[in-house]
Amino acid sequence: MSRAERLLAHIAAEHPRSLRGVEEARGVDPARFDAIAEHFLGWAAGVHGEAEALRRCVAAFEAFSHDVLMSQARYEADGHYENSSFAECEAAVYADASVMDDYLWGVFLTNFCWAHHMEISKAYLERFVRRLPSDAQVLEIAPGHGGWGVWLLSEHPGARLEAFDISPSSIRIATSIAGAAGVGARAIYTRRDAMDLGGRPPATKDAVVCSFLIEHLEEPKRLVETMFHELKPGGRAWLAGALTAAQVDHIYEFVHESELVRMCEEAGFRVAETLSVAPKRLLPKARYLPRSMSLLLEKR
Amino acid sequence: MADTLTRLTDVFRDVFEDDELQITRSTSAADVQSWDSVMHITLMMGVERAFGIRFKSGEVAGLKNVGELVDLVDARKGAS
Repeated sequence: MSRAERLLAHIAAEHPRSLRGVEEARGVDPARFDAIAEHFLGWAAGVHGEAEALRRCVAAFEAFSHDVLMSQARYEADGHYENSSFAECEAAVYADASVMDDYLWGVFLTNFCWAHHMEISKAYLERFVRRLPSDAQVLEIAPGHGGWGVWLLSEHPGARLEAFDISPSSIRIATSIAGAAGVGARAIYTRRDAMDLGGRPPATKDAVVCSFLIEHLEEPKRLVETMFHELKPGGRAWLAGALTAAQVDHIYEFVHESELVRMCEEAGFRVAETLSVAPKRLLPKARYLPRSMSLLLEKR
Repeated sequence: MADTLTRLTDVFRDVFEDDELQITRSTSAADVQSWDSVMHITLMMGVERAFGIRFKSGEVAGLKNVGELVDLVDARKGAS
């Protein structure tokens, strides 16, 4: 039985409310879903052991997905995100290691267990990662669980990753996943605020990765400017973010895709490609369409 | 006033658009075809409105069956 098959069997037995959504995600591209599941669950098994990885990740995934849907329902009722400042999010989420650990292991599975994030993950692999030079020097801003960067390193045996995250849980979990994936020697994770990367020399990286941080920031423009600063001319960046998609720690409400495009262009990037995707099923009578958007950026 | 299970039955019938739907304390997502993650949130919002209470996400994320929901609603009603 493959890891994807074991995942679906475990969800059917223990978390039946989540089964339909995960089956939809697999339906986007079954072969790709199975391949990503093999990678991600294999890394998690290297950290937790095979059975515990499945139990831990799926329970966290269901709880995280539930929190997101609940936030979206509150957003539908209230017309605004629950929190609007970093300080509120730090108190509710970031400062509590046990909350953050569950949060990050829950997000870990969304990369392929949410159907619209399967689309984003496919774009990441096929349109971004596989076009990078095999020896790319990469910066990842806010790696979170670490899966995005570890995936890149596993595709490019000559690549090296430097990553910064404000969360100690992120540094610990991302480091453990990189080790389990056998790429730990090529990844350095350091606790540092992505909004405070000033003083670093410009133009040292071939690629910059930043997935789903920008909507967590009070000043998202500074993030895009930092990405531009770090990238060599000719380099490429991957940026993903959320629009009208509530979460307890989403504070910057992007409404239109053009806002992200314009922000990147004003920082100096050429926006080479974009992808905006929404969940297949919405809350009944939803007035907001929650989307995840990825942008492939070039520095010329 | 009707008991909690009876009032919850009305909420379930409204949310799942099934006037014949019968629930018991042991009813779970496995027994109601369209009770998935999205409908679970819709259901919780309906329960909040019906009983005039507000749940924290963690309180309702792990509910296994209707009986646990009944107990939670009763505890919240008793606390209010």
